[in-house]
Amino acid sequence: MTAFVTLWGVYSTPDFSSKFGGVDRSRDQDLMTTSRALDQFLSSVERRAFKIAQLGLRNDDDALDAVQDAMMKLVQSYASRPVEEWRPLFYRILANGIRDMQRRRTVRGRIMAWLPIRVDEDEEFDPIAEAPSQDAGPAKRLELDQAIGVLETAVAELPPRQQQAFLLRNFEGLDVNETASAMGCSEGSVKTHYFRALESLRAKLGEVF
Amino acid sequence: MTDPTDFEKRTREVLEESTARLDGRTQSRLTQARHAALAQLENPARNWWRSYVPAGAAAAVAVLAVVIWSGPTPPVASPVEDMEILADAEAPDFVEDAEDLEFYEWAAGEVET
Repeated sequence: MTAFVTLWGVYSTPDFSSKFGGVDRSRDQDLMTTSRALDQFLSSVERRAFKIAQLGLRNDDDALDAVQDAMMKLVQSYASRPVEEWRPLFYRILANGIRDMQRRRTVRGRIMAWLPIRVDEDEEFDPIAEAPSQDAGPAKRLELDQAIGVLETAVAELPPRQQQAFLLRNFEGLDVNETASAMGCSEGSVKTHYFRALESLRAKLGEVF
Repeated sequence: MTDPTDFEKRTREVLEESTARLDGRTQSRLTQARHAALAQLENPARNWWRSYVPAGAAAAVAVLAVVIWSGPTPPVASPVEDMEILADAEAPDFVEDAEDLEFYEWAAGEVET
């Protein structure tokens, strides 16, 4: 019993902990810092990422899956990368996920391209969940509703690369270099896709906007 | 980057507004997805050895204590006694039975091989 108490005492001493547990404590702190930074980063992008995926996939559940996959992959593979690299990496992963999903359901996608964004009719209507987060006057709200509907339809109908360039540059606010990194193409291609996207949207929305 | 045009600003504002209107269910699922992703950072296996140190030490001490305090070991029969049994004129029962003898010869051969 004395031996056990002695051994326990040695194990519990600060000296032992500093030698054998110090590395772990430091690692725990690093992990906590990284976790906090990732949480902050993911919260800052999740809503826009969902919107981008929703416009690309035209399905809320698929969009949520794509965003979750992108979050998982970023944390799994790139958590140790510098924070400033996370945004282009995250959108690169998301863009790849969206493209893979689009490829998997090409036929279905072609049909749905002519339909409005799907609303799950099976789900029960929850007035609290469905309530808008911000209130506005009825006229302003109607105007915004129309603008959102028209713009989202027009964006959803853009060719995938133009859509990506437009959403990453204009909506997410990435610069040309970050957008090129996220799209896996040259900066020149980004400029071309973005310019064409703007031209196409102007042609469709000119009167509304 | 050149300044965004009014058209670019307007489209961005509309998309921001649309994003701000995401319903509670979607926001909740996004939060769940984020938490699930962050949970991957925790690796419960990384400190496993530390949690077993006290238990291992206790087990080692207990074994040591049993060895020390278990008292003297029972006496072992001396080789001389074994020789007396073998040299005894009265052979063990199994030797008398010829069939059993063959069996024991076969078994001994199996053991050797």
